[in-house]
Amino acid sequence: MFNAFPYSEWGDEIDAFWTFAGGDKIIWGQASLGTWIIVVLGFILMIWAFVGFVRLENGKLDHQAAALRATGALDRPAPPASPAQS
Amino acid sequence: MGVLLTSVLAQSDISIEDIEKMISLDSNVLAEQFYFYTVVVMWLIHVGFMAYEAGAVRRKNLMSTAMKNILTIAVVTPTFYYFGWYIYGCFEEGWPKSGHASPDVFEGFCGLTAPWSVGLGPNLQDHLSLIFFLAFLLFSWTTGSIMSGAVVERIRLSAYLILTAILGSGVWIMDAAWGWSAGGWLTTRYGFHDAIASGVVHGVAGAFAFGVVLNLGPRIGKYTKDGLTRQFRGHNTHLTLMGLMLIFTGFYGFYAACLLITSTSFPGWLNIYGSPTTLGTIAMVITIGFAGGFTGGWFGSKGDPFWTLSGGLAGVISVSAGADVYHPMLAYLLSFSGALVAVWSGNYIERKLRVDDAVGAVAVHGVAGFYGVLLVGIFAGGYPTGVNNVQSSLGGQLVGILAFIPLAFLPGYGVSWVLKKMNLLRVPPEVELEGLDMAEFQQDFYPEFERVPEVIVEPNGDEVEAAPILLDSYWQTTAGSSSTRSGS
Repeated sequence: MFNAFPYSEWGDEIDAFWTFAGGDKIIWGQASLGTWIIVVLGFILMIWAFVGFVRLENGKLDHQAAALRATGALDRPAPPASPAQS
Repeated sequence: MGVLLTSVLAQSDISIEDIEKMISLDSNVLAEQFYFYTVVVMWLIHVGFMAYEAGAVRRKNLMSTAMKNILTIAVVTPTFYYFGWYIYGCFEEGWPKSGHASPDVFEGFCGLTAPWSVGLGPNLQDHLSLIFFLAFLLFSWTTGSIMSGAVVERIRLSAYLILTAILGSGVWIMDAAWGWSAGGWLTTRYGFHDAIASGVVHGVAGAFAFGVVLNLGPRIGKYTKDGLTRQFRGHNTHLTLMGLMLIFTGFYGFYAACLLITSTSFPGWLNIYGSPTTLGTIAMVITIGFAGGFTGGWFGSKGDPFWTLSGGLAGVISVSAGADVYHPMLAYLLSFSGALVAVWSGNYIERKLRVDDAVGAVAVHGVAGFYGVLLVGIFAGGYPTGVNNVQSSLGGQLVGILAFIPLAFLPGYGVSWVLKKMNLLRVPPEVELEGLDMAEFQQDFYPEFERVPEVIVEPNGDEVEAAPILLDSYWQTTAGSSSTRSGS
């Protein structure tokens, strides 16, 4: 029935496999070396993504704004010349 | 069940403690399943916000608007993992006085919220930490999506992502630690009661958004030289209304996820403060809240479709704080009034304050949210809130509001001010005129449909071609400036 499957022993083995394993794999705090490595790498990716979002968009917007200005389509039309000038 | 129990008892080596462990495991797994499905349903909130906002903008800004909602998930999820959950677990007293060993109401919770802890990784002994994290993460996305609607059509995507990470993984979760947890100082000292997050999620997101739109400025052409208001035509009202209905559907998951249930730890359902309630109670309040809100929105706006549905949202938000204790008919009356307050304040913000909040988020979420917190002090004063049974009161609710508004508004205003000074807040005006989609994605997202001239509604109600008005506003915006990147 309930104990037919060795859940506890099996769980311990799986737990020991994971990088999140406790026991003698802990190097500092609650975590193993593997845990610390992926936590730090994930943090670096997160920060890199923020910088990337800003830089990538900045380039696109500057490029498009410059292209639109270059067309002259958004320029204010010159006022009509007065009769005296003509 | 009977057969199961008989089988268990038939095994002579099974003790009462073993049976208790098995039942406890079952209870935890059932709770795990419950919160899993609330997370699934809450995804609809984000589908809804995306559709709602994408339909409310002009065709030229469709994908840039939708992409904000999608990338909210990309930035709030990791930042909430690294910061947000830890703030919730360890800042209930304002600052973690005792580190990971702080005397939590749920003992040891703080220590399970650090990114490197056993609570935030696969753990066969812990069925609840990760699923609770996910439920709160979905609340965090919601706060970002609330701000998202207010800033459409002129904010930079990257600026929005920075702001939404700060709101979703810092600001709102700090106020949740203070006033939306069993051990929060507002709860334990003042009996602050905001059961389904009127102020904690909606009010705070609205106040943050208000700070942002003040720096962001109105869309080009929104106001006349005399300060009168023009209206832009959203390109797909049907999509907007469907989005709102999806948000409403997702709200049922949101409401359910605000309750606690593990039958071996405590009997029945508890609200976030550890006080008893029932799932039926809050489901009834949310449903009657929609009814009152739609009614209030309809009459408050004289039958405007957008405000009728937004009124439903405002109605529900205004009764959420007391949804665990209100009688349904009280909720009906209060939600009706909440919708009226939202419609009135939305018009005031747009026309009198001349703040361009594109979807009325500040009114619907911010004003209605804090209004809902206040209502608890009036209509549920004396209710014993939380594990210390501190009575809710008007004074306690006001303390919460006075703590939350600056906590939300100041970061929103401050960070957007810094971004503005760095020319990173708003898109160049040329791009705004052409539409953000061409700059961001180099394409029109309805390629098979012919373009028709954009229209705008003048303050007197006349619908006219937009181009001359927008160009004139653009020339005013850029007059005398060598750089057109200054935005508004």
